Amino acid sequence: MWIEPKELLLLLPGLWTGEMFSKYFVLQKRRGHGESGGFGSMLVGTFDSVMSTKPAPYRILHQTPSSEISYEIAIATTQDEIVKDWEWLQVNLFNVLNEMESEEEVTNFTLCKIKSLFAQNNQDDPGESADFKVKTSTFKSIFKMPEEERLVNTYAATYVKNKIPRKGHLYISLNHICFHSYMLGQEIKRIIRFAELEDISRHGNIIYIKTTNNMQYNFTLIFDASEAHSLIEQLNKMAIQQLIQNPESPVVDHDTSRLTRLGAANTKNSKKPVLLRDLTARQKSEEFRVYFRLPQSEIIDGKIKANIYTPYSKRFNSGHILLSPNFLCFRSDVKDLVSVVIPMKTIKSVEKKDDGQQRYDNQIVIITSENVPFVFAQIIDREVLISKITDLLSRIHIPVSRERAKYDISWSKQTALMNTFKTNFSAEMQKKQEEKLARWDSHFRDFGRGIGMFRTTDVINLIVEGIPDKLRQEIWLIFSGAIHDKEMNPGLYEDLVEKAACIKDCFAHDEIDRDLPRSLPEHPAFQSPDGIAALRRVLQAYALRNPQVGYCQAMNIVTSVFLLFCDEENAFWMLASLCENLLPDYYKDKVVGAQIDQGVLNELVETHLSDLHEHLDQLGVIKMISISWFLTIFMSVISYESSLHILDCFFYEGAKIIFMIALQVIEWNRDKLRRCQDDGEAMLVLQKFLEGIHNPDYQVPPSTDKRKTERTQTQTVQTLIHEAYTKFGEELTQQRIEELRNKHRRLTMRQFDIDNEKTIVKAFVDNPYFERDELHMLLTIIREEKMALKSVQQQQKTHANMSEAPSFPQSPARAAPGDSSGARHEAYCVNYEVFHTLFNELTPWRKCTTVDIGEKLFRLTDKKSTGVLDFGQIIHALGLVCSSKYTEKLKLMFILHLPPLLSKSEVERARRPRPRNKDDAEEAIEAEDFFDDDPSESIEALPSPSDHNFDADDYALVSATQHMYNLAGISGHTFRDPLRTPNLSLNSNASSLPAQPTRASTFYVDLPSDLAAGGASHGTTNTRADAGLDEDRDIGLSQQGRHESIDTFSDISDLGAAKLTPPQPTAAEQLMLNVETISNFSQISDLVATTRMERADSNNTDTRSLGSLGYLLDQPDDSSSNRRLLPHMRKENFQLLWRSIIEILGCVQDEEMRRAYENMIEMGNSNIRKEPSVESFTQLNLGGSGDEQPDRNGNPTTSAAEPTSTTRLFIALEEELRQAALLSGSESISSGKPTPPSSSNASSDSYGWNISISQFIATVLSVPTIVKGFITRTNILEQIELLQKKRRKCLSTNY
Amino acid sequence: MATRKKSLLKVIILGDSSVGKTSLMNQYVNKRFSNQYKATIGADFCTKEVVVDDRVVTMQIWDTAGQERFQSLGVAFYRGADCCVLVYDVTAPNSFKNLDSWRDEFLIQASPRDPEHFPFVVLGNKVDLDNRQVSTRRAQQWCQSKNDIPYYETSAKEGINVEMAFQTIAKNALQQEAEAEIYNEFPDQIRLNSDRNNRPGNADNCQC
Repeated sequence: MWIEPKELLLLLPGLWTGEMFSKYFVLQKRRGHGESGGFGSMLVGTFDSVMSTKPAPYRILHQTPSSEISYEIAIATTQDEIVKDWEWLQVNLFNVLNEMESEEEVTNFTLCKIKSLFAQNNQDDPGESADFKVKTSTFKSIFKMPEEERLVNTYAATYVKNKIPRKGHLYISLNHICFHSYMLGQEIKRIIRFAELEDISRHGNIIYIKTTNNMQYNFTLIFDASEAHSLIEQLNKMAIQQLIQNPESPVVDHDTSRLTRLGAANTKNSKKPVLLRDLTARQKSEEFRVYFRLPQSEIIDGKIKANIYTPYSKRFNSGHILLSPNFLCFRSDVKDLVSVVIPMKTIKSVEKKDDGQQRYDNQIVIITSENVPFVFAQIIDREVLISKITDLLSRIHIPVSRERAKYDISWSKQTALMNTFKTNFSAEMQKKQEEKLARWDSHFRDFGRGIGMFRTTDVINLIVEGIPDKLRQEIWLIFSGAIHDKEMNPGLYEDLVEKAACIKDCFAHDEIDRDLPRSLPEHPAFQSPDGIAALRRVLQAYALRNPQVGYCQAMNIVTSVFLLFCDEENAFWMLASLCENLLPDYYKDKVVGAQIDQGVLNELVETHLSDLHEHLDQLGVIKMISISWFLTIFMSVISYESSLHILDCFFYEGAKIIFMIALQVIEWNRDKLRRCQDDGEAMLVLQKFLEGIHNPDYQVPPSTDKRKTERTQTQTVQTLIHEAYTKFGEELTQQRIEELRNKHRRLTMRQFDIDNEKTIVKAFVDNPYFERDELHMLLTIIREEKMALKSVQQQQKTHANMSEAPSFPQSPARAAPGDSSGARHEAYCVNYEVFHTLFNELTPWRKCTTVDIGEKLFRLTDKKSTGVLDFGQIIHALGLVCSSKYTEKLKLMFILHLPPLLSKSEVERARRPRPRNKDDAEEAIEAEDFFDDDPSESIEALPSPSDHNFDADDYALVSATQHMYNLAGISGHTFRDPLRTPNLSLNSNASSLPAQPTRASTFYVDLPSDLAAGGASHGTTNTRADAGLDEDRDIGLSQQGRHESIDTFSDISDLGAAKLTPPQPTAAEQLMLNVETISNFSQISDLVATTRMERADSNNTDTRSLGSLGYLLDQPDDSSSNRRLLPHMRKENFQLLWRSIIEILGCVQDEEMRRAYENMIEMGNSNIRKEPSVESFTQLNLGGSGDEQPDRNGNPTTSAAEPTSTTRLFIALEEELRQAALLSGSESISSGKPTPPSSSNASSDSYGWNISISQFIATVLSVPTIVKGFITRTNILEQIELLQKKRRKCLSTNY
Repeated sequence: MATRKKSLLKVIILGDSSVGKTSLMNQYVNKRFSNQYKATIGADFCTKEVVVDDRVVTMQIWDTAGQERFQSLGVAFYRGADCCVLVYDVTAPNSFKNLDSWRDEFLIQASPRDPEHFPFVVLGNKVDLDNRQVSTRRAQQWCQSKNDIPYYETSAKEGINVEMAFQTIAKNALQQEAEAEIYNEFPDQIRLNSDRNNRPGNADNCQC
């Protein structure tokens, strides 16, 4: 891109190599970039990294033959970009320049041209300097960040690791802090997500960061350390807030367009990147908004120094005018001296005024609709300000109350309830109210009234004494800022009320109804239907307005007080402003905001009442007592009359007053608290004290409250407030509270995670695969991976574009309210992408590249096809793969390679990989042809139920094989293990465990045929098939009505649970013992006969249950599912399976493996010859399915029908094995065996070829290499740590 | 907590919002019923001296908030509980259904040493009302299935069975207290990331 031409005196030829030359121009490439290695480039790399200026790798220089000076005119990060610029020069400049006479002319012309190009380009692209663009692209390429991640700024920094300082750069982007350094061939990268920061602090130039993984970093910044620090704080705050807002998509995405900044803040002069300026502005804007209590949409637009004339003191006060789209505000430099808020829409005129006074020139006078003049003076940029105000005024949008259709209004807006339910003040009280009223009146005369009043410390003094009842509504509305929201949304409240009234059967409404009589029951207003109805309307309307909050207990209590003094609509807007501005996040799920503030209070106690803190902390008191203080602004703990005064102050001060009062209360009870032995005692002390707080200025006749008589009066509320202000008012500033909140927001969210993790681990600790600490790590990595930018964005993408590869329907129903454990686990559900990443990063099966095992496993595990796996499913999926249970692992391998998990088209593709660029349409056609040609491949033809009891047969087979090997003199010790495998029950759902102890799990694959066709073409014809797939799947499922019958057991868990010894280990052991004494085959066959189950008849309706997409349904009630139907495997799939096994083992096939392979090929061939209905399909009964099983003692059941069939199979197997052994022995010598999966003739003779899981397992288990390869347990902890390290250091992953 | 005297019993009252937890507590402690209670925010607290088996003990009764979003705060209150009282409203079937999750939640959060035998007491409250929806039999069945939890039908308003229920609560809590004598602190403070490196190799590793 073109840049402002820069003079270069030093060309440093060593650093650059010329790529293209012309008479006046040269295109250069920086050494150290790209391929050209060598020491030189390494040095340049170091140099670049250490120097703060990081040049772009390409540039174009303009030079003239006789001049010493060169001009840098263009830079770029990629060759393409720079070549484009070069070509432009070629086309537009070369000829022109050649015709010029003097070199000087050439240079002038060139520079002029380039400048104009630069200016032109930068018009549509505001602000971002070329330099920064380079940095951005460097950042993305170094840290492999996705395009969406935006860099905010970079800082030269030193990272000290192992006492060795590394000089480099700190890159701060919206979601990450990254560090990069490259020194003498050593590259260091660090990536830290903002959401994972646990601690941030700065000491001088050093920024210290600690993550939730307990990783600690120290960065030393020579310049701008404080800027970087506050930037980190801000982005961390944004990240955590986003996490609270939307835990499923915790990525900060900053939308700059919201900030349409106008002139005043000069963008040109600032050299800071746009985004940084934007964030700074946002921060300022936030402070501004909070200070003046403006609506959330208000963004600061400019700030100008000015003096305001205050008529009450008859002088000018220095300060700043702040402008936002709808407001003009003034804030004095002296804290709290005076501030003014003028809504733009009330401005009638803005005039210049010069009365000749030297000191206060440059005046403007603003007159509002109430004819109140505001005089500002000494405005240096007066013209700018006026034009800006004019501009803002012209854009102002005054919402008009829409012409609302007259719904049948069965309600009318309730006016302040105190009007109807008058407080019976005694004469004395009445007089006090009058006095107060008079003082307020005189205050209004001096300082103005309404929104535009001069806000000074005088008003605080009045408020502290308690606002008179008649003025409460007015003052509360103004100081809470609720009035602005109300004025901007006329008619909204009525709409909400009416909409809410139409909602039936709403959980929130039930909760509201239950709490209506429990809000302010002592007040007569809420003993009457009018009060109750108004309260209901307000709460329901708010639940509708803000579904994220809905209804939270405590809202009823505060709202009822609002309703006493304000009309219904005002009460609603005050509630809105309470929930959204004054007490942020307080009423959300887990009352997170209040919990954060508890943390803040705890820290404040530590600072201000340090002697007490340790004791209280030990008792755990603060956590326990203060939640109601925050949520109800003391209204549930202090008597109503007294808490009104606190509420008055609250609207003026915000949450600060809660902290002040809390500290004061604790301090007053210091000695008593110190004597407390336990939490209950401390609670009682504070409870008593708070109940005793009374208000002599507002005594209602004692009859209204019975409890009051018991109270021993402790303090007056006036003293409480006064003392609190004196002791803590100065030290507690809004800013300090914000800072502490940032810190505790992090800690609280972290604590939630920890608690959550603990609970989940507790629930899953009985799983058969992972230890407690492994579960913890697994949860950690799941959380981290889920939050990783890439996965989140991928997720968003798939949402937007469902046709993009494997898509799954969204999870249908979220956990119902009340099901807290469901919600808790939900945080650790993963979608396909995350699972796939985890699978590839953590398990040993990632080595399998031909077949995407991760995808198969996901589909198998996700039996409800929700597109997400819960943690239990993840444990079982990953656990089995990482375990040492090799038989189960091999079985799983077999299943994963069955259609439809491994579809025909995939097999086809894997066998002859096609060039990627092939036309999709063509592929689709091919796929279709494929199915036409080979009808046998379609679902119906595939499995038929079979009749062998897997367990018994399998045992027999294994035993027999072992025996054979024993006979042959091969050590059989590896075979004992499966026989001993304990019969663990690993149901993923612990609570259902006692319900069905003898549950029969069916390995049962089911899908209607059209579905499977979709499934088969899946991946080949992406768009079409996927779209169809989802639909079909849903239809298919609903037709079969299987949704409901799916229970909570995970398939994988079934697989794991259904060890080879389903009934009980003792039987197996007995078997094994027997095996050792067996001396001939007839004994084996007897054994088989006695242990096998009754043969199950084929049930043809079940055959088309094709299995697909990993539905292994579990239907204990369905009689046909009492047996497990596992289709046999076809040759193509088998070959891939074999290849996968070899890939997983990561070694060359040895003799035994080859032999086993050939045996199985042979076995498959011989299966063709057999009667298909009897022998080509095997039923697997993996779990104990009841009466047919041998009984508990391992005694075989006597009802062994048709023992011959099994025996026959068995003998045949024996024979085959023997033959194969002979054969392979000779064959392997005669011909170099082709490697199995590549066999080209496979398809021709594959028709009818199949192999059963029993055959497969029995054979494979006889190969020591495979057993050895699969028996190894993967240490998941190591793998996770490795992955975390990779992520942290941005190392590439190989898979 | 370790220093707590044996004569102090900590009792937690759990149950859905508005089943009458606060009323039950106040009826028991103050022998008084009022329909003017505010919804409990966070938790409320009372103590009462009771005589159990000729011993005087102080009963600390913690009354908790029923709304679900306050549950995450529960941990602080559940710690060191000696007995947990599950309350439902006999006129609100949902509040009965939720007993399961309240019980599970308590066991998970409080993690008592012996979850199977931790003393629970179930109270079906508001029996004075006419529109009863949960039958005694159903409730008793549920209680039996959960290791024979004692079950009482109460009315905080009329004071029916309240005294008796709390006597049982105190008795059972005291029993638990006696058993838990050795067991002072709560167990598993799981430290993340600590000494995971010096973890012994897994036993069921490869045997080859």
